[in-house]
Amino acid sequence: MAMELSNAEKDGKYTIAVKGEIDLYSSPDLRSAITKAIPSASAALHIDLSGVEYMDSSGVATLVEGLRASMEKSVAFVLLAPAPPVLKVLQLSRLDTVFTIKDRA
Amino acid sequence: MPEENGPIIEVKDLVVKYGDRTVLDNINFHVNRGETFVILGGSGCGKSTLLKNLVGLMRPHSGHILINGQDITEMTDVERVEVRKKLGMCFQASALFNSMSIGDNVALPLREHTKLEESTIDIMTKIKLELVGLGGFENYLPAELSGGMKKRAGLARAMAMDPEVIFYDEPSAGLDPIVAAGLDALIRKMQSTFNLTSIVVTHEMASVKLIADRVLMLLAGKVVGYGKLEEIEGSEHPFVKQFFDRRPDDESDNRDDYIKSLTGQDDD
Amino acid sequence: MSALTYMFGYTGRVTLNSLYAVARVCVLVQDTAYWAVVQPLRGKGLRLRSAVEHFVEFGFNSLPIVGLICFLIGGIMSMQAVYLLKAFGATQYVANLVGVIAVRELAPLMTAILLTGRSGSAIAAEIGTMKVSEEIDALEVMGLNPTKHLVVPKFIAMVTAIPCLTILGALIMIFGGFAVTVWVVGVEPNVYINNTINAIKIRDFATGFSKSVFFGIVICLVGVYRGFQVEGGAEGVGKMTTSSVVTSIFLIIFVDLIFTYIFFF
Repeated sequence: MAMELSNAEKDGKYTIAVKGEIDLYSSPDLRSAITKAIPSASAALHIDLSGVEYMDSSGVATLVEGLRASMEKSVAFVLLAPAPPVLKVLQLSRLDTVFTIKDRA
Repeated sequence: MPEENGPIIEVKDLVVKYGDRTVLDNINFHVNRGETFVILGGSGCGKSTLLKNLVGLMRPHSGHILINGQDITEMTDVERVEVRKKLGMCFQASALFNSMSIGDNVALPLREHTKLEESTIDIMTKIKLELVGLGGFENYLPAELSGGMKKRAGLARAMAMDPEVIFYDEPSAGLDPIVAAGLDALIRKMQSTFNLTSIVVTHEMASVKLIADRVLMLLAGKVVGYGKLEEIEGSEHPFVKQFFDRRPDDESDNRDDYIKSLTGQDDD
Repeated sequence: MSALTYMFGYTGRVTLNSLYAVARVCVLVQDTAYWAVVQPLRGKGLRLRSAVEHFVEFGFNSLPIVGLICFLIGGIMSMQAVYLLKAFGATQYVANLVGVIAVRELAPLMTAILLTGRSGSAIAAEIGTMKVSEEIDALEVMGLNPTKHLVVPKFIAMVTAIPCLTILGALIMIFGGFAVTVWVVGVEPNVYINNTINAIKIRDFATGFSKSVFFGIVICLVGVYRGFQVEGGAEGVGKMTTSSVVTSIFLIIFVDLIFTYIFFF
């Protein structure tokens, strides 16, 4: 089961919706999507994680990278409605407090 | 990872021979997803050989080993590489690559098997090391760490690819009780938090009682006990009882042979 | 009867063991060629960084000792030659003798023997230690091929380093001869240089060079083979390291014999 990405932009708010599995092999795609989106997101970059069925540590690392890159460009980096598997992995790596997590925009 | 049903590892009629000597004789068992399975036995009972067969370092004489339903005994070496990416192994002496820093040790499989960016791998390495309690040690060389820390680093490396199964070869061997207990707790933590399947080869009764869900007990290459920890503890098999009670072998009947070997005569 | 049985049994065992060893070496050679040539051509990476590190270790770091030994041997050779040729008043021909022997024979051989002691043994010890400490198993469990990761970088480094060292060694050996003949015996420097240039042909360089490549292959593969043979603990490592040096020096001289036979006989 692969990962699907879809993008949407609305009033400077850029949203990447992720569906499926974020693993060692799909994380590079997510990373390039985030890197490309940061310049076009003038105010905020939202990553919709509600459709994620599985995320491993490469996913966490990718999100941390996204957060870092967004902070440099002063873009707000928000995780939108992370599915339970995502939340669990974030908690395990003790990074759930680092991210801004919102239920629904 | 999609949750598949059925046992994660199945071993059927496994026979392993070194030359003419049968080391493992007709072994059958399975390991359930997410449990801690302990392979227990005395020195030389074939438990390390069994482990080597499970991770595909050796090929058995006959029988089948199924990992996620795929028979690894019938695979080519190339196909095995794919299966091994889902397996992690902690070696007895940690087997860290001495010429590389701890961080590079953990990052190695990621660098070789994935197309992840170096910066992503760097973060992942830090996360794994933090997980085993070695945060901030990524630039140390293996020689600069203590035995317990090396084992933790070995665990971090085994965890690098987010495996489904982790094999531990004698995790508490050569460690003092406090460090060994710390490692037991770590094994338990990995199992409970990541729902990892753990397969532990050991002869340390203290840690078996702490970590085991189910136990396979070997004696001279044969299964003498297999089941839940409580069932094995209540077993009537003389060897199993002796092992759990920590009683030595009876040595008195060697006396005649001993005297004969010294004097060349029977002791009458 | 029993002596006869023993003899046949012994011969049979030795033959079988040797054949087995030959088979193992063939597998190693095939494996190395596969990971050093075929896979890189298919676009699967070579571990070049590691190869460069080994090149520095085998080649650059061996330079002082190779240079020193070659210089001394050049000097010794010319002293021996002067002693012989003085009777004929032909001391200026020392240059021809030293030049040809250095380029064709002694520089490749001395370099190979020094590298066997210095690097061949190190290869055997490193791989042996990794085997004992289960690092080889660890590589395999991670799905990483030991040949690709351990053998090929060393192989590439050795096969490229040894010809370079050999050429430098030959030049230094000639310089050693020059030093003795010119500064001690008193032959005109330009006569020595001219004689050297006239004596050495491209063919001499070509044979010395190609020979050294084969010596490199021998040193590396023997080291690797003995390393993988290590069983048991530290004792096994020591045993196989020694064995690698003995085997490799023997094979180098044997290869040299075959080469000399093919090219000059």
